[in-house]
Amino acid sequence: MHIMEGFLPVKHAIGWSIAAAPFVVYGLYTINKRIKEKPEQRMLLGVAAAFTFVLSALKMPSVTGSCSHPTGTGLGAILFGPAAMAPIGAIVLLFQAILLAHGGLTTLGANIISMAVVGPFAAVAIFRSAKAVKVPFALSIFLAASCADLLTYVTTSAQLAFAFPDPAGGFAASFAKFASVFAITQIPLAISEGLLTVVVMNALVRFNAPELQEMKVTAAVQEVLT
Amino acid sequence: MLTEQSAYTNRWRQISPVAKGFVSICGMVAAFAAGSPRTALLVALILSLATVLGANIPPVRYLRVAAPALFFLLASGLSLLASLDFSYNSTFGLSLHLAESELPRIFQVCCRSLACLTALLFLALTTPLTDIISLMRRCKLPETLLDLMTLSYRTLFVLSEAVHETVTAQSARLGYASLTLSLRSLGGLVANLAVQVWQRSQALHLAALARGNDGALRFLEPDYPDSPRAISCAVISGVLLVVLAVYLP
Repeated sequence: MHIMEGFLPVKHAIGWSIAAAPFVVYGLYTINKRIKEKPEQRMLLGVAAAFTFVLSALKMPSVTGSCSHPTGTGLGAILFGPAAMAPIGAIVLLFQAILLAHGGLTTLGANIISMAVVGPFAAVAIFRSAKAVKVPFALSIFLAASCADLLTYVTTSAQLAFAFPDPAGGFAASFAKFASVFAITQIPLAISEGLLTVVVMNALVRFNAPELQEMKVTAAVQEVLT
Repeated sequence: MLTEQSAYTNRWRQISPVAKGFVSICGMVAAFAAGSPRTALLVALILSLATVLGANIPPVRYLRVAAPALFFLLASGLSLLASLDFSYNSTFGLSLHLAESELPRIFQVCCRSLACLTALLFLALTTPLTDIISLMRRCKLPETLLDLMTLSYRTLFVLSEAVHETVTAQSARLGYASLTLSLRSLGGLVANLAVQVWQRSQALHLAALARGNDGALRFLEPDYPDSPRAISCAVISGVLLVVLAVYLP
Protein backbone atom coordinates (compact mmCIF):
# COMPACT_ATOMS: atom_id res chain seq x y z
CA MET A 1 0.00 0.00 0.00
CA HIS A 2 1.57 3.29 -1.09
CA ILE A 3 0.72 6.77 0.17
CA MET A 4 -1.78 8.10 -2.33
CA GLU A 5 -1.56 11.17 -4.54
CA GLY A 6 -1.85 14.51 -2.71
CA PHE A 7 -2.28 12.91 0.72
CA LEU A 8 0.89 14.33 2.29
CA PRO A 9 1.15 18.04 3.15
CA VAL A 10 3.28 20.01 0.69
CA LYS A 11 6.29 20.38 3.07
CA HIS A 12 6.37 16.63 3.68
CA ALA A 13 5.99 15.82 -0.01
CA ILE A 14 8.95 18.09 -0.88
CA GLY A 15 10.99 16.91 2.14
CA TRP A 16 10.62 13.21 1.29
CA SER A 17 11.44 13.91 -2.37
CA ILE A 18 14.66 15.68 -1.30
CA ALA A 19 15.46 12.78 1.06
CA ALA A 20 14.93 10.19 -1.69
CA ALA A 21 16.98 12.04 -4.35
CA PRO A 22 20.50 11.10 -3.04
CA PHE A 23 19.57 7.40 -2.97
CA VAL A 24 18.31 7.51 -6.55
CA VAL A 25 21.37 9.53 -7.66
CA TYR A 26 23.76 7.09 -5.88
CA GLY A 27 21.84 4.16 -7.39
CA LEU A 28 22.22 5.68 -10.85
CA TYR A 29 25.94 6.24 -10.20
CA THR A 30 26.41 2.55 -9.32
CA ILE A 31 24.32 1.52 -12.34
CA ASN A 32 26.43 3.74 -14.64
CA LYS A 33 29.57 2.11 -13.22
CA ARG A 34 28.11 -1.35 -13.80
CA ILE A 35 27.09 -0.42 -17.36
CA LYS A 36 30.59 0.91 -18.11
CA GLU A 37 32.15 -2.39 -16.99
CA LYS A 38 29.44 -4.64 -18.45
CA PRO A 39 27.30 -2.92 -21.14
CA GLU A 40 24.77 -5.80 -21.10
CA GLN A 41 23.71 -4.66 -17.60
CA ARG A 42 21.77 -1.75 -19.17
CA MET A 43 19.30 -4.21 -20.71
CA LEU A 44 19.31 -6.42 -17.61
CA LEU A 45 18.32 -3.58 -15.26
CA GLY A 46 15.71 -2.24 -17.68
CA VAL A 47 14.07 -5.67 -17.91
CA ALA A 48 14.48 -6.06 -14.11
CA ALA A 49 12.35 -2.91 -13.60
CA ALA A 50 9.63 -4.44 -15.81
CA PHE A 51 9.93 -7.68 -13.82
CA THR A 52 9.41 -5.78 -10.52
CA PHE A 53 6.39 -3.99 -11.99
CA VAL A 54 4.84 -7.24 -13.26
CA LEU A 55 5.60 -8.88 -9.88
CA SER A 56 3.68 -6.12 -8.10
CA ALA A 57 0.67 -6.81 -10.34
CA LEU A 58 0.52 -10.53 -9.43
CA LYS A 59 -2.22 -11.66 -7.06
CA MET A 60 -0.68 -13.43 -4.08
CA PRO A 61 -2.74 -15.71 -1.76
CA SER A 62 -2.54 -14.60 1.87
CA VAL A 63 -2.82 -16.81 4.95
CA THR A 64 -5.91 -14.83 6.03
CA GLY A 65 -7.69 -15.92 2.86
CA SER A 66 -7.53 -12.48 1.27
CA CYS A 67 -5.21 -11.74 -1.59
CA SER A 68 -2.79 -8.96 -2.40
CA HIS A 69 0.39 -8.36 -4.40
CA PRO A 70 4.03 -8.98 -3.50
CA THR A 71 6.25 -5.88 -3.17
CA GLY A 72 9.21 -7.74 -4.70
CA THR A 73 11.67 -5.52 -2.80
CA GLY A 74 13.35 -8.44 -0.98
CA LEU A 75 13.69 -10.62 -4.08
CA GLY A 76 14.83 -7.68 -6.23
CA ALA A 77 17.45 -6.56 -3.69
CA ILE A 78 18.87 -10.10 -3.35
CA LEU A 79 19.01 -10.61 -7.14
CA PHE A 80 20.09 -7.16 -8.35
CA GLY A 81 21.65 -5.48 -5.27
CA PRO A 82 20.10 -2.86 -2.92
CA ALA A 83 21.69 0.26 -4.48
CA ALA A 84 20.29 -0.53 -7.93
CA MET A 85 16.84 -1.02 -6.41
CA ALA A 86 16.44 2.73 -5.62
CA PRO A 87 16.24 3.87 -9.28
CA ILE A 88 14.48 0.64 -10.30
CA GLY A 89 11.98 1.16 -7.47
CA ALA A 90 11.53 4.82 -8.50
CA ILE A 91 10.69 3.70 -12.07
CA VAL A 92 8.26 1.03 -10.82
CA LEU A 93 6.54 3.53 -8.49
CA LEU A 94 6.26 6.09 -11.31
CA PHE A 95 4.76 3.45 -13.63
CA GLN A 96 2.33 2.36 -10.90
CA ALA A 97 1.24 5.99 -10.44
CA ILE A 98 0.76 6.66 -14.16
CA LEU A 99 -0.46 3.29 -15.41
CA LEU A 100 -2.50 2.14 -12.39
CA ALA A 101 -3.21 5.39 -10.46
CA HIS A 102 -1.63 3.60 -7.48
CA GLY A 103 0.57 5.90 -5.36
CA GLY A 104 1.25 9.30 -6.90
CA LEU A 105 3.65 11.89 -8.23
CA THR A 106 3.57 14.20 -5.19
CA THR A 107 4.12 11.23 -2.85
CA LEU A 108 6.77 9.58 -5.06
CA GLY A 109 9.64 10.63 -2.74
CA ALA A 110 7.97 9.20 0.38
CA ASN A 111 7.10 5.97 -1.43
CA ILE A 112 10.67 5.64 -2.81
CA ILE A 113 12.07 5.91 0.74
CA SER A 114 9.76 3.20 2.11
CA MET A 115 9.66 0.76 -0.81
CA ALA A 116 12.87 1.32 -2.77
CA VAL A 117 15.31 2.31 -0.02
CA VAL A 118 14.31 0.89 3.40
CA GLY A 119 12.90 -2.41 2.06
CA PRO A 120 15.85 -3.43 -0.20
CA PHE A 121 18.61 -2.31 2.20
CA ALA A 122 16.86 -4.08 5.11
CA ALA A 123 16.47 -7.24 3.01
CA VAL A 124 20.16 -7.42 2.10
CA ALA A 125 21.31 -6.50 5.66
CA ILE A 126 19.09 -9.22 7.17
CA PHE A 127 20.10 -11.77 4.52
CA ARG A 128 23.84 -11.13 5.08
CA SER A 129 23.49 -11.10 8.91
CA ALA A 130 21.53 -14.37 8.81
CA LYS A 131 24.19 -15.95 6.59
CA ALA A 132 26.95 -14.66 8.89
CA VAL A 133 25.41 -16.50 11.87
CA LYS A 134 24.97 -19.64 9.71
CA VAL A 135 21.17 -19.52 9.48
CA PRO A 136 19.97 -22.00 6.79
CA PHE A 137 19.57 -20.51 3.27
CA ALA A 138 15.77 -20.88 3.13
CA LEU A 139 15.28 -19.26 6.54
CA SER A 140 17.66 -16.38 5.63
CA ILE A 141 15.62 -15.72 2.48
CA PHE A 142 12.34 -15.93 4.39
CA LEU A 143 13.56 -13.51 7.10
CA ALA A 144 14.99 -11.09 4.51
CA ALA A 145 11.87 -10.98 2.33
CA SER A 146 9.27 -10.86 5.10
CA CYS A 147 11.17 -8.33 7.27
CA ALA A 148 11.79 -6.12 4.20
CA ASP A 149 8.05 -6.22 3.49
CA LEU A 150 7.18 -5.39 7.11
CA LEU A 151 9.77 -2.62 7.38
CA THR A 152 8.37 -1.03 4.21
CA TYR A 153 4.99 -0.70 5.93
CA VAL A 154 6.52 0.37 9.26
CA THR A 155 8.23 3.20 7.34
CA THR A 156 4.95 4.14 5.61
CA SER A 157 3.22 4.20 9.02
CA ALA A 158 5.99 6.45 10.42
CA GLN A 159 5.71 8.79 7.40
CA LEU A 160 1.94 9.08 7.84
CA ALA A 161 2.26 9.53 11.63
CA PHE A 162 4.86 12.25 11.07
CA ALA A 163 2.51 14.06 8.67
CA PHE A 164 -0.64 13.53 10.74
CA PRO A 165 0.21 13.33 14.48
CA ASP A 166 -2.71 12.31 16.67
CA PRO A 167 -4.42 15.33 18.32
CA ALA A 168 -4.40 13.54 21.70
CA GLY A 169 -1.44 11.14 21.66
CA GLY A 170 0.92 12.84 19.17
CA PHE A 171 3.35 10.94 16.89
CA ALA A 172 3.45 7.75 19.02
CA ALA A 173 -0.33 7.32 19.09
CA SER A 174 -0.63 8.09 15.39
CA PHE A 175 2.19 5.63 14.54
CA ALA A 176 0.52 2.93 16.70
CA LYS A 177 -2.78 3.60 14.91
CA PHE A 178 -1.39 3.41 11.36
CA ALA A 179 0.89 0.44 12.20
CA SER A 180 -2.06 -1.49 13.70
CA VAL A 181 -4.23 -0.77 10.65
CA PHE A 182 -1.43 -2.01 8.36
CA ALA A 183 -0.59 -4.96 10.67
CA ILE A 184 -3.99 -6.58 10.11
CA THR A 185 -3.23 -7.07 6.44
CA GLN A 186 0.54 -6.74 6.23
CA ILE A 187 1.75 -9.34 8.78
CA PRO A 188 -0.02 -12.20 6.95
CA LEU A 189 1.12 -10.74 3.62
CA ALA A 190 4.73 -10.46 4.81
CA ILE A 191 4.63 -14.14 5.82
CA SER A 192 3.15 -15.03 2.41
CA GLU A 193 5.78 -12.97 0.59
CA GLY A 194 8.55 -14.58 2.67
CA LEU A 195 7.27 -18.06 1.79
CA LEU A 196 6.88 -17.11 -1.88
CA THR A 197 10.44 -15.74 -2.05
CA VAL A 198 11.77 -18.99 -0.52
CA VAL A 199 9.87 -21.02 -3.15
CA VAL A 200 11.22 -18.73 -5.92
CA MET A 201 14.84 -18.87 -4.72
CA ASN A 202 14.68 -22.64 -4.19
CA ALA A 203 13.29 -23.07 -7.71
CA LEU A 204 15.99 -20.78 -9.14
CA VAL A 205 18.83 -22.53 -7.31
CA ARG A 206 17.48 -26.02 -8.10
CA PHE A 207 16.46 -25.67 -11.73
CA ASN A 208 18.35 -22.65 -13.06
CA ALA A 209 21.72 -22.63 -11.26
CA PRO A 210 23.78 -22.85 -14.50
CA GLU A 211 21.83 -19.97 -16.10
CA LEU A 212 22.15 -17.85 -12.96
CA GLN A 213 25.90 -18.48 -12.72
CA GLU A 214 26.33 -17.73 -16.41
CA MET A 215 24.20 -14.60 -16.15
CA LYS A 216 26.18 -13.12 -13.24
CA VAL A 217 23.65 -12.50 -10.46
CA THR A 218 24.65 -10.72 -7.23
CA ALA A 219 27.45 -12.06 -5.04
CA ALA A 220 25.04 -13.12 -2.26
CA VAL A 221 23.29 -15.64 -4.52
CA GLN A 222 26.53 -16.70 -6.26
CA GLU A 223 27.85 -17.95 -2.89
CA VAL A 224 24.86 -20.30 -2.57
CA LEU A 225 25.15 -21.49 -6.15
CA THR A 226 28.83 -22.46 -5.84
CA MET B 1 -4.30 -1.56 -19.00
CA LEU B 2 -7.25 0.85 -19.14
CA THR B 3 -5.10 3.97 -18.76
CA GLU B 4 -2.95 2.95 -21.73
CA GLN B 5 -6.03 2.25 -23.89
CA SER B 6 -7.36 5.73 -23.14
CA ALA B 7 -3.95 7.37 -23.55
CA TYR B 8 -3.67 6.03 -27.11
CA THR B 9 -7.29 6.56 -28.21
CA ASN B 10 -8.40 9.85 -26.62
CA ARG B 11 -9.24 13.03 -28.54
CA TRP B 12 -6.15 14.86 -27.23
CA ARG B 13 -3.69 12.12 -28.29
CA GLN B 14 -2.01 14.41 -30.86
CA ILE B 15 -1.69 17.38 -28.49
CA SER B 16 1.83 18.12 -27.25
CA PRO B 17 2.68 16.32 -23.95
CA VAL B 18 4.25 19.60 -22.77
CA ALA B 19 0.78 21.21 -22.79
CA LYS B 20 -0.91 18.28 -21.01
CA GLY B 21 1.94 17.95 -18.49
CA PHE B 22 1.74 21.68 -17.71
CA VAL B 23 -2.02 21.54 -17.03
CA SER B 24 -1.53 18.47 -14.82
CA ILE B 25 1.20 20.18 -12.75
CA CYS B 26 -0.95 23.33 -12.45
CA GLY B 27 -3.82 21.10 -11.28
CA MET B 28 -1.64 19.70 -8.50
CA VAL B 29 -0.42 23.19 -7.53
CA ALA B 30 -4.05 24.37 -7.48
CA ALA B 31 -5.03 21.41 -5.28
CA PHE B 32 -2.35 22.33 -2.73
CA ALA B 33 -3.14 26.06 -2.99
CA ALA B 34 -6.89 25.55 -2.44
CA GLY B 35 -7.87 27.27 0.80
CA SER B 36 -11.00 25.25 1.45
CA PRO B 37 -12.39 21.77 0.66
CA ARG B 38 -14.99 23.42 -1.57
CA THR B 39 -12.27 24.98 -3.77
CA ALA B 40 -10.34 21.67 -3.91
CA LEU B 41 -13.55 19.90 -5.00
CA LEU B 42 -14.09 22.57 -7.67
CA VAL B 43 -10.54 21.95 -8.99
CA ALA B 44 -11.26 18.20 -9.02
CA LEU B 45 -14.53 18.78 -10.89
CA ILE B 46 -12.92 21.02 -13.52
CA LEU B 47 -10.07 18.55 -14.16
CA SER B 48 -12.32 15.49 -14.32
CA LEU B 49 -14.76 17.27 -16.68
CA ALA B 50 -11.84 18.35 -18.88
CA THR B 51 -10.65 14.72 -19.03
CA VAL B 52 -14.08 13.18 -19.67
CA LEU B 53 -15.59 15.83 -21.97
CA GLY B 54 -12.46 17.41 -23.47
CA ALA B 55 -10.43 14.27 -24.11
CA ASN B 56 -13.56 12.18 -24.68
CA ILE B 57 -12.77 9.50 -22.09
CA PRO B 58 -15.87 7.33 -21.39
CA PRO B 59 -17.11 8.18 -17.85
CA VAL B 60 -17.39 4.48 -16.91
CA ARG B 61 -13.75 3.88 -17.84
CA TYR B 62 -12.73 7.01 -15.92
CA LEU B 63 -14.51 5.71 -12.81
CA ARG B 64 -13.04 2.21 -13.23
CA VAL B 65 -9.51 3.68 -13.31
CA ALA B 66 -10.22 5.97 -10.34
CA ALA B 67 -12.11 3.38 -8.22
CA PRO B 68 -9.11 1.65 -6.51
CA ALA B 69 -7.55 5.02 -5.67
CA LEU B 70 -10.89 6.31 -4.33
CA PHE B 71 -11.17 3.20 -2.14
CA PHE B 72 -7.66 3.85 -0.75
CA LEU B 73 -8.62 7.48 -0.15
CA LEU B 74 -11.68 6.39 1.83
CA ALA B 75 -9.61 3.92 3.89
CA SER B 76 -6.91 6.54 4.54
CA GLY B 77 -9.54 9.14 5.55
CA LEU B 78 -11.17 6.69 7.98
CA SER B 79 -7.79 5.84 9.57
CA LEU B 80 -7.15 9.55 10.11
CA LEU B 81 -10.58 9.92 11.69
CA ALA B 82 -9.80 7.37 14.42
CA SER B 83 -7.80 8.78 17.34
CA LEU B 84 -5.74 6.73 19.80
CA ASP B 85 -5.30 8.11 23.32
CA PHE B 86 -2.75 6.71 25.82
CA SER B 87 -4.64 8.04 28.84
CA TYR B 88 -4.68 6.41 32.27
CA ASN B 89 -8.45 7.00 32.63
CA SER B 90 -9.27 4.25 30.13
CA THR B 91 -9.55 0.58 31.04
CA PHE B 92 -6.51 -0.75 29.15
CA GLY B 93 -4.35 2.37 29.29
CA LEU B 94 -5.44 3.43 25.81
CA SER B 95 -8.70 4.37 24.17
CA LEU B 96 -9.85 4.58 20.56
CA HIS B 97 -12.37 7.25 19.64
CA LEU B 98 -13.46 9.46 16.75
CA ALA B 99 -11.44 12.66 16.36
CA GLU B 100 -14.47 14.87 15.70
CA SER B 101 -12.49 18.08 16.16
CA GLU B 102 -10.18 16.93 13.31
CA LEU B 103 -13.05 16.35 10.89
CA PRO B 104 -12.63 19.63 8.92
CA ARG B 105 -8.85 19.07 8.52
CA ILE B 106 -9.35 15.45 7.41
CA PHE B 107 -12.03 16.54 4.92
CA GLN B 108 -9.60 19.15 3.56
CA VAL B 109 -6.84 16.50 3.16
CA CYS B 110 -9.21 14.11 1.37
CA CYS B 111 -10.50 16.84 -0.99
CA ARG B 112 -6.91 17.93 -1.76
CA SER B 113 -5.96 14.31 -2.45
CA LEU B 114 -9.00 13.91 -4.73
CA ALA B 115 -8.04 17.05 -6.67
CA CYS B 116 -4.44 15.79 -7.05
CA LEU B 117 -5.77 12.41 -8.21
CA THR B 118 -7.86 14.06 -10.96
CA ALA B 119 -4.76 16.03 -12.04
CA LEU B 120 -2.79 12.77 -12.25
CA LEU B 121 -5.61 11.06 -14.18
CA PHE B 122 -5.75 14.04 -16.57
CA LEU B 123 -2.16 13.27 -17.58
CA ALA B 124 -2.33 9.47 -17.34
CA LEU B 125 -5.51 9.09 -19.42
CA THR B 126 -4.54 11.53 -22.18
CA THR B 127 -0.78 10.93 -22.60
CA PRO B 128 0.95 7.60 -23.40
CA LEU B 129 3.91 6.78 -21.16
CA THR B 130 6.30 7.01 -24.14
CA ASP B 131 5.28 10.68 -24.54
CA ILE B 132 5.77 11.28 -20.80
CA ILE B 133 9.26 9.76 -21.06
CA SER B 134 10.11 12.03 -24.01
CA LEU B 135 8.80 14.98 -21.95
CA MET B 136 11.19 13.93 -19.16
CA ARG B 137 14.01 13.75 -21.73
CA ARG B 138 13.30 17.39 -22.63
CA CYS B 139 13.46 18.23 -18.90
CA LYS B 140 17.06 16.82 -18.96
CA LEU B 141 16.53 13.95 -16.55
CA PRO B 142 19.51 11.51 -16.44
CA GLU B 143 19.81 9.51 -19.68
CA THR B 144 20.40 6.22 -17.84
CA LEU B 145 17.16 6.58 -15.90
CA LEU B 146 15.24 7.35 -19.12
CA ASP B 147 16.87 4.40 -20.94
CA LEU B 148 15.84 2.08 -18.10
CA MET B 149 12.30 3.51 -18.21
CA THR B 150 12.03 3.00 -21.97
CA LEU B 151 13.38 -0.56 -21.80
CA SER B 152 11.16 -1.35 -18.85
CA TYR B 153 8.03 0.04 -20.52
CA ARG B 154 8.68 -1.92 -23.72
CA THR B 155 9.37 -5.16 -21.84
CA LEU B 156 6.56 -5.08 -19.31
CA PHE B 157 3.95 -6.02 -21.92
CA VAL B 158 6.12 -8.96 -23.04
CA LEU B 159 6.49 -10.14 -19.43
CA SER B 160 2.75 -9.58 -18.76
CA GLU B 161 1.97 -11.81 -21.75
CA ALA B 162 4.37 -14.47 -20.41
CA VAL B 163 2.65 -14.28 -17.00
CA HIS B 164 -0.79 -14.60 -18.59
CA GLU B 165 0.24 -17.67 -20.62
CA THR B 166 1.96 -19.35 -17.65
CA VAL B 167 -1.01 -18.72 -15.33
CA THR B 168 -3.39 -20.16 -17.97
CA ALA B 169 -1.23 -23.28 -18.32
CA GLN B 170 -0.90 -23.67 -14.53
CA SER B 171 -4.65 -23.14 -13.96
CA ALA B 172 -5.46 -25.77 -16.62
CA ARG B 173 -3.41 -28.22 -14.51
CA LEU B 174 -5.25 -27.17 -11.27
CA GLY B 175 -2.17 -25.24 -10.15
CA TYR B 176 -4.28 -22.79 -8.15
CA ALA B 177 -6.75 -25.28 -6.63
CA SER B 178 -5.57 -24.80 -3.03
CA LEU B 179 -3.49 -22.35 -0.98
CA THR B 180 -0.40 -24.62 -0.97
CA LEU B 181 -0.67 -25.33 -4.70
CA SER B 182 -1.17 -21.61 -5.40
CA LEU B 183 1.98 -20.70 -3.49
CA ARG B 184 3.98 -23.42 -5.30
CA SER B 185 2.63 -22.40 -8.72
CA LEU B 186 3.26 -18.73 -8.05
CA GLY B 187 6.80 -19.56 -6.90
CA GLY B 188 7.42 -21.50 -10.13
CA LEU B 189 5.96 -18.66 -12.16
CA VAL B 190 8.14 -15.97 -10.55
CA ALA B 191 11.28 -18.16 -10.73
CA ASN B 192 10.63 -18.78 -14.43
CA LEU B 193 10.03 -15.08 -14.97
CA ALA B 194 13.27 -14.17 -13.14
CA VAL B 195 15.27 -16.39 -15.49
CA GLN B 196 13.47 -14.85 -18.47
CA VAL B 197 14.69 -11.44 -17.23
CA TRP B 198 18.30 -12.49 -17.89
CA GLN B 199 17.52 -14.38 -21.09
CA ARG B 200 15.49 -11.56 -22.62
CA SER B 201 18.02 -8.91 -21.56
CA GLN B 202 20.84 -10.92 -23.19
CA ALA B 203 18.76 -11.22 -26.37
CA LEU B 204 18.04 -7.47 -26.34
CA HIS B 205 21.73 -6.71 -25.83
CA LEU B 206 22.71 -8.94 -28.77
CA ALA B 207 20.01 -7.34 -30.94
CA ALA B 208 21.26 -3.85 -30.03
CA LEU B 209 24.89 -4.83 -30.78
CA ALA B 210 23.84 -6.29 -34.13
CA ARG B 211 22.35 -2.88 -35.00
CA GLY B 212 25.53 -1.01 -34.13
CA ASN B 213 24.45 0.24 -30.67
CA ASP B 214 27.30 2.07 -28.95
CA GLY B 215 25.73 2.65 -25.54
CA ALA B 216 22.84 5.08 -25.11
CA LEU B 217 19.48 4.27 -26.71
CA ARG B 218 18.24 6.90 -29.14
CA PHE B 219 14.63 7.47 -30.18
CA LEU B 220 12.93 9.72 -32.69
CA GLU B 221 10.81 12.38 -31.01
CA PRO B 222 7.30 12.63 -32.52
CA ASP B 223 6.21 15.98 -33.94
CA TYR B 224 2.98 17.52 -32.71
CA PRO B 225 0.99 19.74 -35.07
CA ASP B 226 -0.12 23.10 -33.69
CA SER B 227 2.14 22.72 -30.67
CA PRO B 228 2.65 26.46 -29.82
CA ARG B 229 -1.14 27.04 -29.85
CA ALA B 230 -1.75 24.02 -27.56
CA ILE B 231 1.00 25.14 -25.17
CA SER B 232 -0.43 28.71 -25.05
CA CYS B 233 -3.92 27.33 -24.29
CA ALA B 234 -2.44 25.07 -21.60
CA VAL B 235 -0.52 27.95 -19.98
CA ILE B 236 -3.63 30.16 -19.90
CA SER B 237 -5.92 27.44 -18.50
CA GLY B 238 -3.30 26.17 -16.02
CA VAL B 239 -2.58 29.64 -14.66
CA LEU B 240 -6.33 30.40 -14.47
CA LEU B 241 -6.85 27.20 -12.47
CA VAL B 242 -4.12 28.16 -9.98
CA VAL B 243 -5.45 31.76 -9.70
CA LEU B 244 -8.96 30.38 -9.12
CA ALA B 245 -7.69 28.09 -6.35
CA VAL B 246 -5.67 30.86 -4.69
CA TYR B 247 -8.37 33.56 -4.74
CA LEU B 248 -11.49 31.51 -4.01
CA PRO B 249 -12.18 31.29 -0.26
